[in-house]
Formats: sequence, C-alpha cells, structure tokens
Amino acid sequence: MISLWHFLSVGAALFGLGLVGFLTRRNLITMFLCAEMMLQGVVLNFLAFGRYHGDLSGQVISLFIIAVAACEAGLALALFLMLYRRGRTLDSGSWQNVREAGVPASIDREPLPKPEYIEPAPTLPVAGLKPKPTQEETVRA
Amino acid sequence: MPTALQDPLFQLVLAAVLGALGVMLLLPKPQRQSRTLGVFLAMAGLAVFGAFLYTAFGRPMSDSIADVLFCIFAAVALLSGTLLVTQRNPARGAIAFAFVILSTCGLFLLLAAPFLMAATIIIYMGAIIVTFLFVLMLSHVVGPSDENDRSREPLLGSLAGFAFIGLICFTLLQGHTNIARAETALPQPMLTANDRSLLAEASADFDRAIAAEEIADAFKHYGSGRAKLLLIVGQGELNSEHPPVRERLSAMRTEPRTMALLKQTEGLRVLANSTDDKLLNAGIDLNQFRYAIKLLRDQTVIYSGNGQLPARNVANIGYILYSEHILSVELAGTLLLVATIGAVTMTQRRKEATA
Repeated sequence: MISLWHFLSVGAALFGLGLVGFLTRRNLITMFLCAEMMLQGVVLNFLAFGRYHGDLSGQVISLFIIAVAACEAGLALALFLMLYRRGRTLDSGSWQNVREAGVPASIDREPLPKPEYIEPAPTLPVAGLKPKPTQEETVRA
Repeated sequence: MPTALQDPLFQLVLAAVLGALGVMLLLPKPQRQSRTLGVFLAMAGLAVFGAFLYTAFGRPMSDSIADVLFCIFAAVALLSGTLLVTQRNPARGAIAFAFVILSTCGLFLLLAAPFLMAATIIIYMGAIIVTFLFVLMLSHVVGPSDENDRSREPLLGSLAGFAFIGLICFTLLQGHTNIARAETALPQPMLTANDRSLLAEASADFDRAIAAEEIADAFKHYGSGRAKLLLIVGQGELNSEHPPVRERLSAMRTEPRTMALLKQTEGLRVLANSTDDKLLNAGIDLNQFRYAIKLLRDQTVIYSGNGQLPARNVANIGYILYSEHILSVELAGTLLLVATIGAVTMTQRRKEATA
C-alpha cells in the first residue's frame, strides 16, 4: 500500500484550511500565519513526492521555500508595523480605500458588542513610615 | 452498515460539508454565538476525513507504530490549524500555529527528512513565531475590535476552502483508483520491494560464502546468491516468473534516471560474470575467493539502495545544495540580504515625519 496518498491528502487539507483563514480573517497577522500554513501543506507535498521517488530534490526545494518564507516574514512584519503606525489598527479592512476603482466598499452592518466592564486592579492605600531617602536620591534632589 | 457510508466519494463530500459548516459556525462574528455545534461539526468532519483516508487509500503504512504516529500528527496538525483559523485572540492563534508546525515536523520525520524537521522547528518556532508575538504585543488591543471579532464572508470563504480540499482529494482518489486499474498515473518506484528483498537475500548468501571455512561450502552459498542476483540483473535467459529489471524498464529507456539504473544493472551483471571467471581461476585460494565475493556483495548492497533516500541526510543535502543548486543558494542568500535591507528601510522613521 502506498502511503504517498495520505500525505498528499493531509497537505491538501492544511492548504485548504489556510485558504479559509486567509479569505475570511481580517487581522493581518492571522492572515499571514494562515498563508504560512498553506506553505506547510505545499512543503509536505514536496517531501512526500521526494520520499516516494527516493530523491533528495524535494527536500532541497523545501529548504528554499523556508528561506523565501523567512524573507517574506521579515518584510510582512515591517509592513504591518508601518501600517499600524499609520492607522493604529491591524484590520485589513481599514485599508479598503486603496481598492480598485469600481469595486464596492464592504461596510460592517452588525455592531460590535459592548466591551464588558473591567474591574480596575486593586491599589493599596499609603500606610506606614516613609523610608529614608538613599544617598543617590538625596544627591539627585 | 449501509454501503453509501462506505463509499469514499460520499465520505469525502460529507467530510467537506461538515468541515465547512463547522468552520463557518466557529469563525468569529460580532454577536456571541454558541460554539458547541461548530466544534461538534468540525470534529465530525475530521473524523469522516480520517475514515475517507482509510477507505480510499488503505492503512497509511505497513508498520503499526508509523501508522499511529501518522494519525496523531495529522490529527493534531488539522485540529490546531482549525483553531488558528477560528481563534479570536491572535496571540492564541500564533500558539496554535506553533502546534501546526510541530506536528507537520513530525510528519517530515516520517518522510525521512530529519534536517528539514530541525530547520523548520528552529526557524518557524524559534524565529518567526517569536517575532510575530512581539509585533502582537506592540499592537495590543483591548476589548472587541473590527479585526478580531469580524470575519469577511464566513460562509463563502469556508465553502471555497473546503470545496478546494474536496476537489484535490477527489483528484487523488481518481489517481489512486487508476493505479489500481494499472493505468499508471504515477511512475512506480524502479526497484520494487520484491526486488529489494531478493537482493537482500543474495547479499546474505554472499556473506555466508565469505564466512565459510570450506571452499565447497563457500561455492554452494555463492551459487545460490548468484542465482538470486541474476534473477534481477540478468538478461531474462533464466525465464523465471520474475521479470528482470532491464525488461521492466525497457519502456522508458529515455528518462535519465532510468538510463542510470540500466547502466548500473548492466555493470552489476558484468561484475557477476567476471567474478565467476575469477573464482574458477582462483583455484583453492580461500582469501582470493573471499575478496572477489566481497566486491560483488558490496556492489549488490549499493545497487539495492537505488531509488531510496540516502541514510546520511544532512551530508547528502549539503552535497546536492553545493553541487547541483549552487546558483539557487547564491540567489537565496541575495534574496535574504535584499529583504533585510527592504525591511529596515521600510520601518525607519523619517526625520521630517516625526518633526
């Protein structure tokens, strides 16, 4: 029985899951991680075929895929940081004003839920004697 | 049990539909929804997908430990992949991604790629995940937000993705049944498992001949090993039920790897014949006799490793990288340098912008 098929199916499933995430999620970082998951599915296919044919070329090309993915990660992070600095958000939908002409805008109709009331962290009242200032503090004063 | 449930095509469609519905329900939406149904559907989809793999392609491997490991790694990879796609909190999503990487690395190990496994763990888990978590902390959001609590077109997106998975698996199923019908869609490995076991028996016979104290004994073992070897590399004059390699490969003579194997086969056959001559000339000198058989034994072992991944993974990858792919290595290095420069220039704050 050939086990190649099992690995190919799992690779396809990983690729498809990544595709779903890339299409539906709006956080830039989650989208990027989903793209990386698609790459993992592809690498799995290369390795499975390499194993099947007894050839190391599959592993070598996977190595190059990792190198290119590392470049891509560095560039994507730089891009995300720059976008965050400008818009204060990681939402890919907030950059839709650079879309092509003639494409309708996507408008969110459902309101976001109200943020839950978060109890502030407890603070301690000031009590006891004030400690003597250290030598450094007296010098600085 | 109804036969429709055992039909791989039905199982595939069921798995894709269950998975698509489950992921659609699990994807983040502004209103709070119950996740129980989504979790149930997604798990059921995964289970049916496993059943599909079993009925369509049989058991994953021939030995049970690799079987169990494959099932565990594949299931963990797919489960944490689903978690990454459906998780609201991106930091938790990054942790789920780390689990995807870990389990695919387990699959890499099953595919005889230890170096790639180590490299992936170091690069993805060590470098990429940490830098991503770092950026996530820099851009920390409190409370509900557009990017984490909304998804774009959950129904259409998950349908598209799972239809893709279904189509690919359907194609694989078609290819698999075609091979079963001997309309070969994929080239078979050139040396079959049967060949390998026969070659292993031959080399074991040669070993016995080398270890023998009496020359008559040695001749007996050598003869049986030689007969087995010639079944594989011979010219078919022995008219056995086992067709020799050269006859099986004659259809695809033009392919370079086939040509290399044919050359090796011919070389081994010539060596076997010349060993015969040497042994007849050696007379009663046991040492010359052993030396000639040892040569033949070594060549047989090397030949039987043809078409398999070499045992020394790292050394061989290094050799291939710096001999066949040297230009690509240089290009990859240049690409890394350019990407670094680009990332640095992109994130630099300009003086006039801050002033």
